[in-house]
Order: sequence, then structure tokens, then C-alpha cells
Amino acid sequence: MNEERLLKVLKGPHVSEKATLLGDAANQHVFRVATDATRDEVRAAVEKLFEVKVASVRVLNQKGKSKRMGRFQGRRNHWRKAYVTLEPGYDIELAGNE
Amino acid sequence: MQVSVESLSSLERRMTVQVPAERVQDEVDRRLQSLTKRVRIDGFRPGKVPFKVVKKRYGDGVYQEVVSELLQTSYHEALTQEKIVPAGAPEIEPRSMEAGQALEYVATFEVFPEVEPADMNGVAIQRPQVEVSDADVDRVIESLRRQRREWDDVERPAADGDQVVLDFEGTIDGEPFDGNKGEDMAIELGAGRMIPGFEEQLTGVQPGEEKSIQVTFPEDYPAGNLAGREAVFSIRVKHVREGRLPEVDEDFARAFGIEEGGVEKLRQEVRGNMEREMTQAVKARVKDQVMDALLERNPIEVPESLVKEEINRLKEQARGRYGAPQEGEDADEGYRDEARRRVILGLVIREIVRRQEIQVEPERVQAELESMASSYQDPQQVISYYRSNKQAMETLEAMVLEQQVVDWVLEQCQVNDEPTSFDALMNPSPENESS
Repeated sequence: MNEERLLKVLKGPHVSEKATLLGDAANQHVFRVATDATRDEVRAAVEKLFEVKVASVRVLNQKGKSKRMGRFQGRRNHWRKAYVTLEPGYDIELAGNE
Repeated sequence: MQVSVESLSSLERRMTVQVPAERVQDEVDRRLQSLTKRVRIDGFRPGKVPFKVVKKRYGDGVYQEVVSELLQTSYHEALTQEKIVPAGAPEIEPRSMEAGQALEYVATFEVFPEVEPADMNGVAIQRPQVEVSDADVDRVIESLRRQRREWDDVERPAADGDQVVLDFEGTIDGEPFDGNKGEDMAIELGAGRMIPGFEEQLTGVQPGEEKSIQVTFPEDYPAGNLAGREAVFSIRVKHVREGRLPEVDEDFARAFGIEEGGVEKLRQEVRGNMEREMTQAVKARVKDQVMDALLERNPIEVPESLVKEEINRLKEQARGRYGAPQEGEDADEGYRDEARRRVILGLVIREIVRRQEIQVEPERVQAELESMASSYQDPQQVISYYRSNKQAMETLEAMVLEQQVVDWVLEQCQVNDEPTSFDALMNPSPENESS
């Protein structure tokens, strides 16, 4: 897998109550990833960027919320979420803005 | 909390304070806890933000805040613990401020010196003793007459003491300058109010005469661009007037607001005023001597920070009075002696008040207030102003207290009555100052 592609796979951390809970309880970290990313790509990207060992990756598609602006019905972009479970002994510390 | 104090000099102290890490940490955690109830962070419902997340985001800021507050409170605690009263603000230098470590800092400050008011036995104070004589009253009446002088036109060359009314226009090297013109200026010859040479050259002018005179502005003339320049004024004399002193009669008295009683009443009034001034001058003179004596007998070392504070206060006052501030170290040095004097006297007087348990006597305040008010048009109004204004009252009370201290000191020293003339008292020249 080429490096350029891997840098584009992870869009950012997904911060929520559930995500923090999982991070503490199960060593799982949640990311927003490119819509066309595969599990293998996410695994490779996380291992490369955070220098950790990944145990497993689960991905799912989220529909963008539909939003109304006055008369116009609009839709936010669909996106893809990845739950990344790390091998025991590894952790990801995101700087500052978790 | 661990505190250790060392003396750097007789007045300077260095205090090292150590606040245990737990105390800092407890305080930080307590604040973060209360923060979790309030903060809103994206992705979390309000109030449901995990402590860990809040700590990560706000921990450093809260830590800084707690440290700076702890510096304050622990400094005061340390002072009470060690029973030290500092004079002026401390200089605080942190030793370690790492999170999770004990907070340690060094505060350097000065303390009030121990004041032992010196024995004033054997100090001689000269108290001027003055009678307002008839001749003194006459002199004042004479100067009142001079103020009320009336001017009559005369047709003769102007002489010393005459008033000359003229128009003038001045030039320097043929060019006009700011304020070079004047119309109907009344100049009194020999009064010395104009630039030197101007009045002299007017001596002998006739009404209607035109003349040009040449003067040199003095080197220290306030308008800098004119100082030291030579100017030519062309003048046109309109009138020459001779002064006439008014008769001392009832009209004269009326001019000074005496409706009834005429000259006799005026003299009484003048005498009353003079006596009031005299009493005040005598008091001031005695007080000055007492203060000087206190200063001389109590050569105490004073904290530098107090002197600096006092210098600033003096500068502030000077600024209020003269407008133009003098800046820089040199200006400060100019105030140093006066500031030192004030600080020492303040400390000594405070100590005397404390030891002798001198308290403000309400009767004296009342008396002082009445005597002060009596020189105003409406004494009652002045009194009620003071009664209703707490700050003014405090100033007055401080004044009375000071007076009481002076009285107390006077009891200790030897007071010599010294006959003095009214003039010598009111206008002390350097020679009779020392007597």
C-alpha cells in the first residue's frame, strides 16, 4: 500500500461519550475515515501513524444527516467510522484536544 | 507548609515557603471537578464530560491559576505564622513550579523597624510670642489702600509710580511674533511686571506721544523662541495716570464688605484676621521645630520600599500642582530626603500614639473645625460639609491627632517664649529663621 494513500485514509478522531468509554474500557479508538477505506487500509494507516499494533478493525457507514435550510432540503456528506482495537500494551494519546 | 526566614540586613528579610504538592493537587482537582459540571465540549452532553477529558483540556490553565492564588494566600499565611509585618510589597521568586511537585518560592521584603521614640528631654523649642500692634494693623490698611488705588488722568510726563495706558506693537528683526500686539495696556511704572527695560523707557512719556523702544527679552523668558532676542516696540501713549490712595473712611470700609461700624470695625476685622494667621503661623513654627527635633533624636533606619512609595506620592502631588511631570532617576533623588523625613516622622509619630495611647479628642476636633470654618463666609455650611463627609473628617482628625502628639512632645521639652514682631513671623527671612 502506498504511503500517500495511507496519509489520506484517517480523517480525524471521533470524539463522543461512547468513544471515550470504549477507549478507557476496551482499548478501542474511534476514527472518522475516508468513505472508500478498507479495514486493511485503516489498520495499516493507524499502525504507521501512531506506531502501535492493531488487533482488529471494524468499519461502518454513517448516513449524513438531512438538514433543512428554509425551503431547501439538504444533506450532509455520508461518512465512514472505524473502531480500531489495539493490542494490549499499546495506547494512542491524542495531543490536547480530545 | 514549611517556612524559613533569614535576615539579609537589619530590615530586609528573605522568606522561603514550601507548599506541599498535595495541597496544590487537591485544589486543582477540586476546581476541575466543579468545571466538569459546567463545561461544554463537542461530543458530550453537558455535565457528562468525563473528568479525564476535562483535565486534559483545562488542567494546565487551572494549575497556573491555583499556583498564583496559592502564592498569595500562602504568603499571607506564612507571614501570620512567623508573625512578621512587611513594609511594602514583597518580591516573590518561584523556585519550583512543576506540576506534581511541591510549590516552593522565595519572598524578599522589608519589615518595619523597631521604633523606640527617643527621650525628648532637653530639647529646646523656640515659641515666637507676638502681639499684633497698631502699627501692624496700619501697615495692612496701607496695603489695602494701595490695592484700591484710583487712577486720574494727568497732562504731564510719566514718572515712577504712574500708570501709563498705551497701545504697542513689537517686532524682532522687522518680523512680528506671537503676542506682539496690545491695546489699552495699563502699565504701572516701577512695578517691574514687564520685561526689564520696558518700564524704564516709558518714564517721561507724554499722553499722545508715539515712541519706539528697544528691549532685550531676558534669557530665561518662558517663551523660548523669544528668550534673549532683541525686540523693537512701537508704542502710542493714550493716557498717563497718577495714583490716588483712597481716604480711610466709611466708604473705604464698605468696599471691604463692612456695612456698619466704619473704620473702627474694619480695623477690628483686620486685626482678627491677623491674629488668626498669627496663631496658625506660631503653631506651624512650633510644629516644624518639634518635627525637626523628633527627626534628629530618632535616627532610625527606614525600609527602602516605604521611601520609594513616599517618593511616588510626592511626585504625584507635585504633578497635580505643577502639571509638568519630571521623570527619571534624578527627579526621584530630589524627593528622597523629604520622603525619608516623612517616613521616619510617620513611624515615630505612630509609635508615640501607640505608646502614649493618644486618642483623638472630639472636643478638639470640634474646636478645630469651628476655627477653620470661621474664616469662611458661611461657617455653618462648612461645618455640616465636614460632618457629612467622612473623608474630610478623617483628614481633620488626623490633623488634630498630629497636633496632640506635638503637644505631648512639647510637654517633654523645654519651651522658650521668644518675642517676635508680626512681620518677622509672617515673612521669615533666612537670617531670623535661625534665631
